[in-house]
Amino acid sequence: MSENEASAAEGPGEAAEIRDASPTDTPDSSSPTAPDSLTDVAPTRKARRRPETITAAEVEETPKAEEQPAKTTSESTVSQGGWGYWGSWGKSILSTATATVATVGQGLTQVIEKAETSLGIPSPTEVSAQVEEEQKQQGSSPADDAGSEKDKAVGDGSSAVGSAMGMLSSLTSVVQSTGKTVITGGLDALEFIGKKTMDVIAEGDPGFKKTKGLMNRNATLSQVLREAKEREELQTAQTEMSESEKKVVAHYGMLFDEFQGLSHLEALEILSRESESKVKSVLTTLSGDKRVQLREELDHIKESFSLVEFDDEEVDEKKDEDGSEFDRDISEALEGLSVSATANKLSKACKNACSQITHMTQPEKEEEESEGDGNKAASVEEVHAAAIRSLAELTARSIELFHKLAETILFSSSSTDASLLSQLTVVLCKEISLLSKKFTSCLTTAGSNEKGDVLNPLITGVFLEASNSASYIQDAFQLLMPILEISHIQRRAESSEQ
Amino acid sequence: MAYAYLFKYIIIGDTGVGKSCLLLQFTDKRFQPVHDLTIGVEFGARMITIDGKQIKLQIWDTAGQESFRSITRSYYRGAAGALLVYDITRRDTFNHLTTWLEDARQHSNSNMVIMLIGNKSDLESRREVKKEEGEAFAREHGLIFMETSAKTASNVEEAFINTAKEIYEKIQEGVFDINNEANGIKIGPQHPTTNSTLSGSQGGQQPGGGCC
Repeated sequence: MSENEASAAEGPGEAAEIRDASPTDTPDSSSPTAPDSLTDVAPTRKARRRPETITAAEVEETPKAEEQPAKTTSESTVSQGGWGYWGSWGKSILSTATATVATVGQGLTQVIEKAETSLGIPSPTEVSAQVEEEQKQQGSSPADDAGSEKDKAVGDGSSAVGSAMGMLSSLTSVVQSTGKTVITGGLDALEFIGKKTMDVIAEGDPGFKKTKGLMNRNATLSQVLREAKEREELQTAQTEMSESEKKVVAHYGMLFDEFQGLSHLEALEILSRESESKVKSVLTTLSGDKRVQLREELDHIKESFSLVEFDDEEVDEKKDEDGSEFDRDISEALEGLSVSATANKLSKACKNACSQITHMTQPEKEEEESEGDGNKAASVEEVHAAAIRSLAELTARSIELFHKLAETILFSSSSTDASLLSQLTVVLCKEISLLSKKFTSCLTTAGSNEKGDVLNPLITGVFLEASNSASYIQDAFQLLMPILEISHIQRRAESSEQ
Repeated sequence: MAYAYLFKYIIIGDTGVGKSCLLLQFTDKRFQPVHDLTIGVEFGARMITIDGKQIKLQIWDTAGQESFRSITRSYYRGAAGALLVYDITRRDTFNHLTTWLEDARQHSNSNMVIMLIGNKSDLESRREVKKEEGEAFAREHGLIFMETSAKTASNVEEAFINTAKEIYEKIQEGVFDINNEANGIKIGPQHPTTNSTLSGSQGGQQPGGGCC
């Protein structure tokens, strides 16, 4: 791990470096940050961790640094409001990126320097100057449009493009294509930096590899996850041979598979794919007004799938000590949908996680007072392992729930309200976010005597997997759309027959 | 945990013949006399060893109810092996075998290995279907045959493992194209090169959800 080589300076302060990423800067140049900023950043909100979007976020962030070089992490988190009409997606991407940045900590200066020196890439200032120059030179070339769009957006943060984005905040495809437009519009150098930075970060952080795996845009979610799992299996096999002192290592992908998350996801994908092609073939058999009408009805269903919003600033760490609130929310969201058995499994998983947290928080405090250091080092890893395991279980159960919902929807001819499902998605993502916050504060407590280079990667790992979990859940939710569509078409056909 | 191959199985057959119980006996080595009705499909997995190689069985236990048929059919595709189960104490479950078989053949790949299973062999006194009848049906349709008891665990292990052996032999003979995931076989993670072709070949397929 490259982080380990870095000095033991506090993570958050260093994190400002990425914004201020010119190679001549020393870590001291950034102002210190309140330590709690570490736990403040929660990456799970609307966490679409597609690399393109992250790159886009970095694109935004870098020029910003020129304006306010001394910004600290916590300040910039607050100041996201200033990005105005970039709206919630911009905000969430920013905070996602910030979280990664903040928690990776001291590794980052090194990362940036490594990325820059290994590439011979100029500082952000030079790059943006270069971009401007390129624009001038290129004159009316196609890149110009996108480039100036970017300039507008970065310049005052209130461009028309931005406001449109805000409205379509949860349409990933839009986000992705926007990211692409911005990048292809003469910002290749920045994209390159972004990708390279990700690569270098990934070198130091195994958890990041999964996110990198998502770069393969053609792969289905289950493939991505399976590949991640296989990599982990390989890794484990190799480390077992090479390092015998390897301690408790939690592998999200393997655990996710163990909880049958992969299988349920695969099955859900099959149903979704088949429904999708059925919907398409129905649409091709219809003609004229009938087709237009059905299209409209289907668009109505689609709308419910593009309006998932959740703001995890509302997520309060103190809330829901034992998972009973989650239980209530889930049963509320699932009222009228007959999937109680699976919902119970989910609630149980959540309650388990909550009781684990309670267990881990209390003895830890006692230990601190009486025994001192004791076996602190092991307990940090235990907390981490418990966190990853809980996230994997909760996510697997969530996917299972969506799969069972899909089957029930296809099976029964009653109508299912898409907004119920989106509400359910919000509840699940909130729970993931809440759990990750609880676990990381648990980690912080358990690791109060640890050096940053031990603790920070673990915290990053939890946030990353929480963020991945939230996006798997949201992707699984999207898989339900064709299923609701075909169910709608079937009901329609039945009622017209009568 | 690393495996050389992963085989996908499906378990099919009338409702109440003991499909879920067979799976539970195989994966958890226990018997549960009362089982919830399976909705759609449930899953189980277990590692076995054939010819010194670790093989992971990923088992899709489908719902037997007629009303779920249209959903469960979707899951047949991409299975390397199928356990077709009837209840030796209920002749109707034996009579429905032809329908099940047609369904399975139609919705899966032609090389799928099918094991015919007469379950509940512990209930000899209530037997309605003779063992010879099962054997004859299997011979006629080119299936492997076994009578099992999920309750006593008799032959359960063998049923799953013999199916895997047959698949493994077919791989050795080159009948199965292991690079085609539609055959229900995946190569384990220790073959990184083959793996990447695997994912590459499937990468062209329609991604499940990205339609909006």
